[in-house]
Amino acid sequence: MSGHWFWGLITTAVVIWYATVVVYVAIKGVIDIKTMLARLNQAHQQQAQ
Amino acid sequence: MTHFSWAVDGSIIGLYLLATMVAGVAVRKYVGKVEDFLVAGREMNVYLGIASLAATEFGIVTCMYTAQNGYKYGFAGATPGLLNALAMFLVGYTGFCIKPLRDSGVMTIPELLEQRYGRFIRWLAGVVIVLGGLLNMGVFLRVGGEFLVVTCGMDPRSLEITMTALLLAVAIYTIMGGMLSVLVTDFLQFVVMSLGLIAVTLLVLVEVGWDRLVAAVAEKAGPGGFNPVIHPEMGWDYVIFNLFLTTAAVLTWQTSIARVLAARDTDTGRRIYTRTSFFFVCRFLIPGIWGIAALATLTPQAFAALSPQMQEDPSLYAMPLFLSSAVPVGLMGILIAAMLAADMSTDSSYMLTWGGVIYNDIMAPFRRGWSERKGLVWNRFIVAAIGLFLLFFGLWYKLEGDLWTYLTLTGTIYLASIATLLIACCYWKRANNWGAGASIVISAVIPLGFLIMEKVDGAAAKAIGPYTSGIAAYLLSGAAMVIGSLLKPQKQ
Repeated sequence: MSGHWFWGLITTAVVIWYATVVVYVAIKGVIDIKTMLARLNQAHQQQAQ
Repeated sequence: MTHFSWAVDGSIIGLYLLATMVAGVAVRKYVGKVEDFLVAGREMNVYLGIASLAATEFGIVTCMYTAQNGYKYGFAGATPGLLNALAMFLVGYTGFCIKPLRDSGVMTIPELLEQRYGRFIRWLAGVVIVLGGLLNMGVFLRVGGEFLVVTCGMDPRSLEITMTALLLAVAIYTIMGGMLSVLVTDFLQFVVMSLGLIAVTLLVLVEVGWDRLVAAVAEKAGPGGFNPVIHPEMGWDYVIFNLFLTTAAVLTWQTSIARVLAARDTDTGRRIYTRTSFFFVCRFLIPGIWGIAALATLTPQAFAALSPQMQEDPSLYAMPLFLSSAVPVGLMGILIAAMLAADMSTDSSYMLTWGGVIYNDIMAPFRRGWSERKGLVWNRFIVAAIGLFLLFFGLWYKLEGDLWTYLTLTGTIYLASIATLLIACCYWKRANNWGAGASIVISAVIPLGFLIMEKVDGAAAKAIGPYTSGIAAYLLSGAAMVIGSLLKPQKQ
């Protein structure tokens, strides 16, 4: 990577950041989906009443 | 010779497609009104927003043009990604424009613009947003199909049928579940897409090697391959144009801003922006590295495998050609599933969010007193109509120049003016409908004129250059807003 340290650094950061974020977002995203659908369900039930 | 195996890779892809369809259709029961359909009832939280924004902004078309940038310009081709990430982080961090936009509770940008500039400007803004957006996404389908043809070694004659089937699948769940289906499928697509992108990038870095990638760029483009300012085909005008473009896109690109508007509250919208910003570096650099790997490994003879039409400008097809032989069976299935995931999430979101502008803004004068049910029917009809447009436009439009330049020019048709209108609407009290109208016209005429000039008089278009024309659109659109607004007599 010598000589082109900037792009080497960015590439390393991209791979590490992306691999980490995917796992984190995959777990947290499931919780977000469940919460979103539960809230919408609740709102529809309230409207129906 | 491609490594694609119908038995192994085809099964992986089939399983993924089935899971997506089931998830997309299953959430349709939560759609009860237009707000649910267009902005998911404004119940989206941060991590779903990050997944959705990232999945939407990465399609096969993105992979193709960023890889083409890597193949042609080396690492310097990833410059727009760095600029985009910087702009998105700063906008998310400061809340510039997106805070007042989300606070206002509108469903689209033109709806906010009406509050300052009146009904006609809302309608006109809707028209240019849809014009720019549809021209932009018109090439998605063909480019996506070409990727599959080259990578899987499919018969080019089956391109239309494959892409029609894919679009039909996307249209079914988007029409049924609107933004809710888009968000849930985006999440699945983000996971599958990311696994494929990371796995293939690691394979490229291990198999080809960093030193070989650097050496290929140094040999092809010299120091300009690492620095856009000194690249003979890029230069300062490329950097400045992309800075304007990416900033305007962060502020007004319909698919991005739809995530801010669907967020639970303003802070959630801002956090989605700051935390997704670095993804835009990945978005350009990962396929860019694949393109550079193609540059480093493909011999001139390898291009004989492409169709004669593709050989006219092989730079767009070098990356899929490289992947077709570099990726082993099994991983190839994951890669194709990842790319289909990327493409489906992009298509669904584009159809929905631009359809939202047609319903919410262009049709605003004609839909007073409509019931929620009638509104939903019309929204679904509009999404279907956009799908048909994508199908037919994608089949006959022949691309001139490189793909990124086409996309930036068609995007500029509305990006320059709507960004100007939005900034002025939020922060300049003198801004009015005279300035807004002038800004919209200037911003649309310059890039459209350039696209027409490319078809009619290619030499003249080349002399002006797409970047100069693009910069002119942004600067003159801003100037038109200021001059037009100052010329209008103020009420006493």
